[in-house]
Amino acid sequence: MPLKSQLIDRICKMLKHLCLNESWIILFVLGIIMTNFPFLAIFNKHETVSGIPLLFLYLMIGWPISIFVIYLFNKAVGMCEDENEKGEKKVRR
Amino acid sequence: MLSAELVIGVSLAYILFLFAIAYYADWKQEKGESIISNPHVYSLSIAVYATTWTFYGSVGKAATTGLDFLLVYLGPTLTAFSWWFLLRKIVRIAKENNITSIADFISSRYGKSEWLGALVTIIIMIGITPYLAVQLKAVSTTFDIICGYPRMQLPFMHYTSPLPMETSFYLALILSVFGVIFGARHLVATERHAGLVAAIAVESIVKLFTFLSVGVFVTYFLFNGFTDIFSRLDRNTLFSLTSFGQSGQIGYPTWFATLYLSMGAIILLPRQFHILVIENTDEEHIKEAMWRFPVYMFLINLFVVPIAMGGIILTGGNAGADYFVLTVPMKSGHPWLSLLAFLGGFSAAAGMVMVESVAVSTMFLNHLVMPVVVRLKARAWFPKLLINMKRLGIFLVVFLGYIYQHIIGETYILVHIGLISFAAVAQFGPALIGGLYWRRGNRAGAMTGITLGFLAWFYTLLLPSLVKAGWWQTDIIERGPFGITFLKPTALFGLTGFDIWSHSLFWSLFLNIGVYLICSIMLHQDEKEREQVRKFVDVFEAPKEEVPWETKRLTKPVTVMQFVNLMSKFIGEKLAHEAISNYMGNRNIDESGGVSEFELPKLKRFVEKTIAGSVGAAAAGAIVESYLSDLGSRMESVYDVFGTVRASLEESRESLSMRLTASQIMSRTLDLQIIMDDLLELLRKEFGFDLTLIRLINEEGKLTIMSYKGVSIKPLTENERIPEIDTYLGDAYLSNEVRFINDTQHMTKPRSKELLEHEGIKSFAHIPVARVGEPPAGVLSVYSRSIIGLFTEPLIKLLESLAGQLAQAVAIATEMEAKERERKDKEKALLERAKVVKEMEIAKEIQMSLLPLAPPEIRGVQLEGRCISAAHVGGDYFDYIPRDENSVDIVIADVSGHSIGAALIMSEARTVLRAEAIMTTGAMEIVKSLNQRLYDDLSRAELFITMFYAKYNADTRLLTYANAGHNRPLLIRKGEESCQELDAEGLILGVKYDPEYEEKSVILWKGDTVLFYTDGITEAESEAEEQFGTERLCKTICTNRELFPGEIMDAVLAEVSRFSNGKPLRDDVSMVVLKIV
Repeated sequence: MPLKSQLIDRICKMLKHLCLNESWIILFVLGIIMTNFPFLAIFNKHETVSGIPLLFLYLMIGWPISIFVIYLFNKAVGMCEDENEKGEKKVRR
Repeated sequence: MLSAELVIGVSLAYILFLFAIAYYADWKQEKGESIISNPHVYSLSIAVYATTWTFYGSVGKAATTGLDFLLVYLGPTLTAFSWWFLLRKIVRIAKENNITSIADFISSRYGKSEWLGALVTIIIMIGITPYLAVQLKAVSTTFDIICGYPRMQLPFMHYTSPLPMETSFYLALILSVFGVIFGARHLVATERHAGLVAAIAVESIVKLFTFLSVGVFVTYFLFNGFTDIFSRLDRNTLFSLTSFGQSGQIGYPTWFATLYLSMGAIILLPRQFHILVIENTDEEHIKEAMWRFPVYMFLINLFVVPIAMGGIILTGGNAGADYFVLTVPMKSGHPWLSLLAFLGGFSAAAGMVMVESVAVSTMFLNHLVMPVVVRLKARAWFPKLLINMKRLGIFLVVFLGYIYQHIIGETYILVHIGLISFAAVAQFGPALIGGLYWRRGNRAGAMTGITLGFLAWFYTLLLPSLVKAGWWQTDIIERGPFGITFLKPTALFGLTGFDIWSHSLFWSLFLNIGVYLICSIMLHQDEKEREQVRKFVDVFEAPKEEVPWETKRLTKPVTVMQFVNLMSKFIGEKLAHEAISNYMGNRNIDESGGVSEFELPKLKRFVEKTIAGSVGAAAAGAIVESYLSDLGSRMESVYDVFGTVRASLEESRESLSMRLTASQIMSRTLDLQIIMDDLLELLRKEFGFDLTLIRLINEEGKLTIMSYKGVSIKPLTENERIPEIDTYLGDAYLSNEVRFINDTQHMTKPRSKELLEHEGIKSFAHIPVARVGEPPAGVLSVYSRSIIGLFTEPLIKLLESLAGQLAQAVAIATEMEAKERERKDKEKALLERAKVVKEMEIAKEIQMSLLPLAPPEIRGVQLEGRCISAAHVGGDYFDYIPRDENSVDIVIADVSGHSIGAALIMSEARTVLRAEAIMTTGAMEIVKSLNQRLYDDLSRAELFITMFYAKYNADTRLLTYANAGHNRPLLIRKGEESCQELDAEGLILGVKYDPEYEEKSVILWKGDTVLFYTDGITEAESEAEEQFGTERLCKTICTNRELFPGEIMDAVLAEVSRFSNGKPLRDDVSMVVLKIV
């Protein structure tokens, strides 16, 4: 099996874990922690990274990342539903 | 500067464009094609969250307090993680229960409480109306700014428009009309508005596009990108705007409070709930919206900081930062961009006002107006009233906002009303989330929790805001009420060190959640609440764990048409008929075209749900309840006959054990009477019936009482009944279906009614005793004098099953009875026959004894006769009558038939003959006289006699004879090989009274043989059905003529037997042989 498709396969398998309700809740809680004290204190400094204020940078990067995670969730749910449907069909047969 | 005409013209054109979009969407929707039913439109419509508060306010906030503006949009992104289970559950529940608003949702969850719905509505109207005011204010302000009114430079808070009436009044009017046209054009069964959603989605695109345009313009045209802006700003300002927690900045608590408030607001704000839940067309859209909506939020906030900082750099400060979006492009000489931004801001305001007004007016109508209206009698003009009330509601909500902003004007409140509103709706959070997942959460908890939370919100947040705005000159903030510092609104119970937001959030939610939990644990839910809990908490499990049996009943049956009439009054006739025909599709319909009694509660719930789609669950519940009570009916719990609540079991343990006991009764014995007695006793004891009885149909087609247990009710337990359709008993038997009445007051068959009411029967059931696919053998009836509504679906099913088992037992018993009877009949017949046979034997003996025992001794004559009867008694007869030493009369006769009758006639003939023979001498005279004497008897008995009468005198050797139709005897002369038939004319005896008989005579010589015989010999048949005939007989005698008469007869019989090959004789055989020696 070529390396690339192996990698995709592995990613797909990991994605499936996202179907679990637990994963949603864990990430939801994680999101709250990351926008709260004390986590936020790490970035709440008078510093700039290549001219951009640190906290602003953190939020403006962290935000799209969390949206991307939700996007992955969305894909994972789609995959799981497909599989459930297949499973149901098998059982029916 | 732009001319007011241009701005108004563009705005109106834009409004017309939105109208066109909305109208198109509605038109498509009516045609059955939805342009809004896709995740794109759904995600865009959720962006109604971004109001002018976002569009203008974010920049203002970013320029004054810093990054905390982002929290209002970060919160929803975090919440999006939970949408797939939380929001989806809410959407599912809302759809299955026809929920119309968040107030409806909460009130439905807690037992369709009218009070709770009203409470939520009131809080929303107080908490949200100011929010509407901000929108109107923002549009009119921006309008003034863009048209160049002089005081535009002044910051938002201190600004008063010269023409507030004109701008915001007309705006309010236009938005109200828009809301009415697309939110309340006609009555609908569900609160869905395709046109409205389409318009909102378009507005969201416009908002985003215009904001991004301004953002790109400021960041990349006025400046050289983000870093350029950051580097131009002095570092102190930069860091004070991009960090927090230091003096003068917002603190951590405020940061968190804002984050939590916005997390709740994304679902709890009425307009968000409306768009997310009520207008959702497909649960799958949630999945897409989960990331699309945050992306929208991210994009619209991307340029907030650059615009804010750009504005500060360009204007030299943050004064008027609220309108940087407009003023920055304008200042840099791009008024068209300002116009674009104005349209974006207008979109944000219009979208919010329209959805909010529709959502809030729905609540206003359903939870404040309807509770009053439902107390009135439903009338035909109700649909008109309702739709107009809703339209009025929209105007009311929008104009409340208008009046609010007009009266309060520029105050502190307007700036912060966004968060104040968030904090108000946050009070619904505990009741909503708790209601979704916590079964014990009850109405008392929700009511008190929300009330206390609301009061805390009012006291710690709204009141200080009003005071700060200068509305009320008081020192309550500094010194507390009546100087009690302990109760200071901003430091309640001495809680200090928090800002106003986190302080208020803490106290309101602490009290809210605390009381909700305590009340829910301490107090009980009533039945109605529990029913709703199942619908909410178990919404995803519902199909699996559906209660198999109805646990409610209507005390008086209501017809389908009555329900349709009721629905028509609230949703119009057309929709009502559509709804009912959808519902009735595959339901059980009973004999009178209505639904079965067990189906009624389901129908009632359906009607309630349908009406709920228009007026909300609480009002719908009240409407249906009051309608039913007008009809004299109401819902009540079924009588729990098994004594346990069966929630999810297929069948209760008690029911199974009943079946088991019944089976034992049936298998213990084959005696039907015992089975019936035991079964009735079991039923009576187990269910407390006053009378149980079994009637079986008898041969005459009457229902006869076979057994009964319990009190003897004479008309019921005594009569045989002919099954007739006008009694419930007859109906049950004839239709072979269960007939039961749960309340004898509502009986429809007058004959039964009279009887049963007189006997004090409250409920009863007739269950046909029938095997599957067979007509019933009887009816099992049970009566109760005490319990109304005893017969539930499971009980009826159980009784049916027992009746089925009983039918089996009856069938077996009937079969056995039939077999037994057959066996006895056979036995009897055998006995009978044996008796007859015996009697026949006796008769035969008697008959045989009538034949001469031995022939008389006549000189020169050998004589012998023999009779073999085929049946036991026969009609053959022969006799010798000796006259003197030398002469003898020989007679042979045959009575037709072989019956007793023939034998009797034979014996009569013998008696008559014997008597006659003494008096008469000639053969002819004897036959003639005999005929006359027997004629009457023979014709009466319809019998005949053939007879041959011969007289022989040994002296004269003369044989004189007469024949009455008998077989002619054979005369075999000595030495001759042929036979001569002795013939004489004469009619059979019994045909005519006086016929003529011929008398003939013949001389017999030594060695001659005469054979007298009956037709039994000649008519004996071979296997080929050939008759023995006279020729064979003649031949046999010729061959054996030398033998003694007895031996001749033996030879004849042997020959006949050989000929017929052992076949038994069909007829009697008699022979007399006369041999002259």
